[in-house]
Amino acid sequence: MLMLLFYLGDILCTIKCEKVREIAPLVNLKTVRHAPDYFAGYFNYRGLIVPVIDLRQFIYGHPCHKRLSTRIILANYQKKDSLSIIGFMAERVTETVMKPQDAVLTMSLNIRKAPYLGNLVIEEKEMIQYIDLQKLPPKLDCLSIPEDGDSNAAEVD
Amino acid sequence: MKTKSDKNRKQIQNSDQASEANCWKTIGVWGQSERMRCPALAKVIHCRNCEVFTQAGRNLLERDLSATYQNEWTLVLSEEKEEVLPDTIAAVIFRIGDEWLALPAKLFEEVIDPERPHQVPHRHNPVLMGVINVHGEIQLCVSLQKLLGIEELKNHQFQRNVYQRMIMVNSESGYWVFPADEIYGIVRIHPQIFQNAPVTVSKDKAAFTKALFQWNDKEVAFLDDELLFYYLNKSVCKPERLKSTVE
Repeated sequence: MLMLLFYLGDILCTIKCEKVREIAPLVNLKTVRHAPDYFAGYFNYRGLIVPVIDLRQFIYGHPCHKRLSTRIILANYQKKDSLSIIGFMAERVTETVMKPQDAVLTMSLNIRKAPYLGNLVIEEKEMIQYIDLQKLPPKLDCLSIPEDGDSNAAEVD
Repeated sequence: MKTKSDKNRKQIQNSDQASEANCWKTIGVWGQSERMRCPALAKVIHCRNCEVFTQAGRNLLERDLSATYQNEWTLVLSEEKEEVLPDTIAAVIFRIGDEWLALPAKLFEEVIDPERPHQVPHRHNPVLMGVINVHGEIQLCVSLQKLLGIEELKNHQFQRNVYQRMIMVNSESGYWVFPADEIYGIVRIHPQIFQNAPVTVSKDKAAFTKALFQWNDKEVAFLDDELLFYYLNKSVCKPERLKSTVE
């Protein structure tokens, strides 16, 4: 199983690559007024308009630094019959590692506010924050994407 | 640019392996002095295996994003990707007489200016035109026109500039050189667009044609290269190939 490593601030995070469609460099994003601050903007991805979420802002409350290694992870999601893509902006997206299928350790920690954060991956004795892309979109209140159908457009902050 | 590299250097200096900024250029493998050598080299052999060098490379990516870079990528990503079907093959389209023909591009070794082949005495095979000097090596020159039975064009009515060329192809049994009246270039075609070769006027051509395809309102015959080379080998060569005597 291929896993993508990246940083959100100083915190090393990882995701599974199976949902990742492409890693795009940071492009010009079309921002939207009054959108939540973690919504970085839209961009034109090969004729498709893709929303981009600033992961660092969303999880840790600080925007990503605009550096060369700050990239957009494009993930595929199934939306009813059609495919939808969400971009996640993260920092230092430069490395992948091969891990066995059972590398993701399920912790007993269950965070109701952020169910996508519970698990960990161990790499060279270091604990890496695992982010579950599957559980993430339902928590993005500004997007009506979730597969679970849980999309009550709640007011954000 | 200078400020960036300065900044970069600063970052390296700030990193854990601080003191050795640009050490690969001074005491490393790219260093000029022979006396001063990095002690770590004995262990890692080359700077590229060294952690300091790797870290310096990483730091390059930590530079700030420039607006031109960002704009450029915005443009690149906004363009739709051309989907290439699997099994698409590259073919070179060329013309002999009035017929447009194609062969797989991987066979093409070189395209050279037309040259007059030296005739081989006591050989009266119409297909074998003679031998030709390509970069100092003697190659066999054959006439596909004769082999395929294509009629020669008497009056050239082309308005555009056309150039005759010699094509050198590489088959398993050796090189073949043959003249073509014009070469269009490389196109990517998918076997889906192939049509069965009909029995045309010239029967020889039909025998060597694997399939037909449409290209710019023209019908192009995709030649069966295996059969073509097999036939060339059989008709032109005696068991001993000229190539083997040259080599």
